[in-house]
Amino acid sequence: MQTWINAFSWINIRFLLLGLKVTLGISVIVMVLSFVIGSLMGILRFAKIKYVSATVGFIVDVVRNLPLLLIIFFTYFGLPNFGYRPDVIPAAIIAMTVFESGMIAEIVRSGIQSVATGQMEGARSTGMNFAQAMWHVVLPQAYKHMIPTLVSQLVSLIKDTSLATIIVVPEMTQQAQIVYGQNANFTLPMFVALALLYFVVCFALSLVGSLVGKQLN
Amino acid sequence: MSMIEFNNVQKFYGKFHALRNINLKIDKGETVVLIGPSGSGKSTLIRTINQLESIEGGQLIVNNHDLSDSKTDANILRRDVGMVFQHFNLYANKNVLENIMLAPRIVSHVPEAENKQRAMNLLEMVGLADKAQNMPRQLSGGQKQRVAIARSLAMRPKLLLFDEPTSALDPEMIDEVLQVIKKVTMASEMTSLIVTHEMGFAKEVADRVIFMDQGHIVEDDDSQAFFNQPQTERAQQFLSKIIAH
Repeated sequence: MQTWINAFSWINIRFLLLGLKVTLGISVIVMVLSFVIGSLMGILRFAKIKYVSATVGFIVDVVRNLPLLLIIFFTYFGLPNFGYRPDVIPAAIIAMTVFESGMIAEIVRSGIQSVATGQMEGARSTGMNFAQAMWHVVLPQAYKHMIPTLVSQLVSLIKDTSLATIIVVPEMTQQAQIVYGQNANFTLPMFVALALLYFVVCFALSLVGSLVGKQLN
Repeated sequence: MSMIEFNNVQKFYGKFHALRNINLKIDKGETVVLIGPSGSGKSTLIRTINQLESIEGGQLIVNNHDLSDSKTDANILRRDVGMVFQHFNLYANKNVLENIMLAPRIVSHVPEAENKQRAMNLLEMVGLADKAQNMPRQLSGGQKQRVAIARSLAMRPKLLLFDEPTSALDPEMIDEVLQVIKKVTMASEMTSLIVTHEMGFAKEVADRVIFMDQGHIVEDDDSQAFFNQPQTERAQQFLSKIIAH
């Protein structure tokens, strides 16, 4: 019992919370970047420009079918071969943005597909170009359908940041490892603390997501 | 002066030959009705005119734009060519007024006040001024189609295409839509091409009737002559079956 009380000292918890800040910081930056990049890729799959949609589709397929862990390795250990040696946090952000963009591109693609083709045709028939029809008519409907999926993707993203521990990013899981690295008795308490923190953040987010989803429909 | 000119146009869906050697000329101001059995290529033909479908052979000229030329900008062509769809295709995320005002605002940059005035006049014309603030899902099928007609007119098209405008409607709503179409096509200088299965309406509104079967234009005659005395056996057969109902 005393072990658990010692494990949950304010110093240790504060150390975890510092990690949580990094976890959330990385998640938010990655989410924003990959929302923009992924949306663009998802939309481009519908643009009738030669080779573009096929190329984007190929990239998405490659990214989605590799383990995130491998993408993190490639970024951190591979990029230096191309003359860029990223710090651990930028490396994690780049790797996760690549991965998430692929995931979001696919979500956006199916979101757009869920909007009846007649919406696009109706808009195009009045003289709107592809971008105008997408922006004013198709995307507002598509994103509304996508909100629940996007939120659950964000939840996965937050959990996936724990993989960045492999390149020693000071996110929450890594911080926990440092704590029990100094005292092996704290191993289980730290795992419990981690589980609680991830659960609270992710579950709260899921709740908000489903509330927003219900509100919009 | 012709508004639409098909010269030996071909269209394929994979191996399926959807339009075969289409030759057709429609003059400015004409109201032409396109009839024929399902799968005969009527909708495909009408959709090639505003380039919702591409063509694979021959030449197609619409309002002086050569659609067989890959440099032709479909967006510019479509400013002058309206379309009314079988399933209305109203923008589900916008209210009735916004449905009508969107294209004039962002495509032809009509000033906001004028745009709104025009939209209200159009709603008045189709008898739905009181529905301006409603969302499409709150309207009946007939009302939706009347809004869609107003929307297509908002761009002041020179040519209006109707692709089975009453086929998705409940029977008791067909008439209100046909009345509006009649009003639109008869009052203006606009050229109209209408795909329909409503023979009584066709007889009343058409200057000319085109009968299609299996991707061919089988018959092309003025309305009176066609309904009184169709020339081909296929058209006679078709008419007798339809009118028997």
